[in-house]
Amino acid sequence: MSKVKDGDLDKLGLLFERYKKPLFGFFYGMNKDAALCEDLVQNVFLRILKYRYLFRGDGDFKTWIFHIARNVNHDHFRKIKWKWKDDLDLWKDRLSNHENRDTEFRQEEEMQMLSMALERLPEDKREILLLSKYQDKKYREIGDILGCTEGAVKVKVFRALQELKEVYKKLEKQF
Amino acid sequence: MEQKYIQRLIDLYNTGQESEADRQELEQLIESGIVSLQDIKAFDAVDQQLMEMKTPEPSKNLDARFYEMLSQEKRKREPTFLKIFFSWREVGPKLALASVALVLGLIAGYFLHSSTPPDHQVESLSRQVADLREMMILSWLEKGSTTERLKAVNLTQEMTNASVKVTNALIQTLNEDENVNVRLAALDALKPYVSDSLVREALVRAIGKQQSPLVQISLAELMVALQEKSAVKEFEKIIESGRAPAEVKKKISESIQVLI
Repeated sequence: MSKVKDGDLDKLGLLFERYKKPLFGFFYGMNKDAALCEDLVQNVFLRILKYRYLFRGDGDFKTWIFHIARNVNHDHFRKIKWKWKDDLDLWKDRLSNHENRDTEFRQEEEMQMLSMALERLPEDKREILLLSKYQDKKYREIGDILGCTEGAVKVKVFRALQELKEVYKKLEKQF
Repeated sequence: MEQKYIQRLIDLYNTGQESEADRQELEQLIESGIVSLQDIKAFDAVDQQLMEMKTPEPSKNLDARFYEMLSQEKRKREPTFLKIFFSWREVGPKLALASVALVLGLIAGYFLHSSTPPDHQVESLSRQVADLREMMILSWLEKGSTTERLKAVNLTQEMTNASVKVTNALIQTLNEDENVNVRLAALDALKPYVSDSLVREALVRAIGKQQSPLVQISLAELMVALQEKSAVKEFEKIIESGRAPAEVKKKISESIQVLI
């Protein structure tokens, strides 16, 4: 990133290749709209280009890029006054696509159920679990992104996992 | 706090028998770092699933848009001729080029004052300059940065008649360059040479090697313009592979309809 900051823009291509998938995964976990996620990934790199002079180089680049990703996501949904759909019929529709599959697809169904449970979490809890996943559970770095202590991050993860487990169990009973 | 007491709290939580007060106490222990999240076995299954959860891959469209944005930004930052000439990082190669030009000038001066006919001297000088330019283009295409490779491809378009070496280098760039914009520029630069059957064959073979939707569509348009029926098989392979996005498949199908 330091080279990009110094004007070697070709190096941004390397950063793009390295981070496009984790960023896409983070956005996909947050909103489940692949086309929108591509727009948001593009916006992240647009901001990096625009504000590259602000990169201080004293911290982890991955932390910085996820900090930007989080802002891009918040800005987007604030702009369109987006409201999360919490419609049970929607879950049933999604799951019904998988109902006829045999037991060999059981694992895939569990993943589908987990994805649904994740979608039903409040945004802040969904976000902390996705950051934990894509930041490889580096809680101090996640604290830098969120502006809180490492201990506070661990408690947030604890509460989010607890709620995820509860929602998952409820979904299991429903379907 | 005793280790036994802490372990009992963790066990209560893992077996789902904890009270609200136990849970709050556990949270405090986690916050202070005394208890690790990994000790909470009740989360093992869901946490592991979360880590293994796969997400779809972004499409090639994202790559195309990003590299287009990057090349636009680079074009905006393209320095002026004077800045390039006087910048210290660039001054070495420029100085070398200027020296070569000076030597060529001296040679030209020598020949102009010698007894050989003037037409022959000018022709010889032009050939040397063309050779020098060709060498520079080939070197940039092979080892240059993205900007230099783009410049090299653009320089070939200024040539009245490029040599086989240059067309081969352009074909290689079209097939192998990592940057979509450079590949697209190479395709444009090859258009004046489509009357050469070897170039046409290479373009048909290039269809199967392209992953970028933009290049695939440009090739499809060119093949239609050339009425190159031998391209149909290559296009069919792309459709059958199932890797191409829907818009590309549609465009290729239309092109096949025109060609057959």
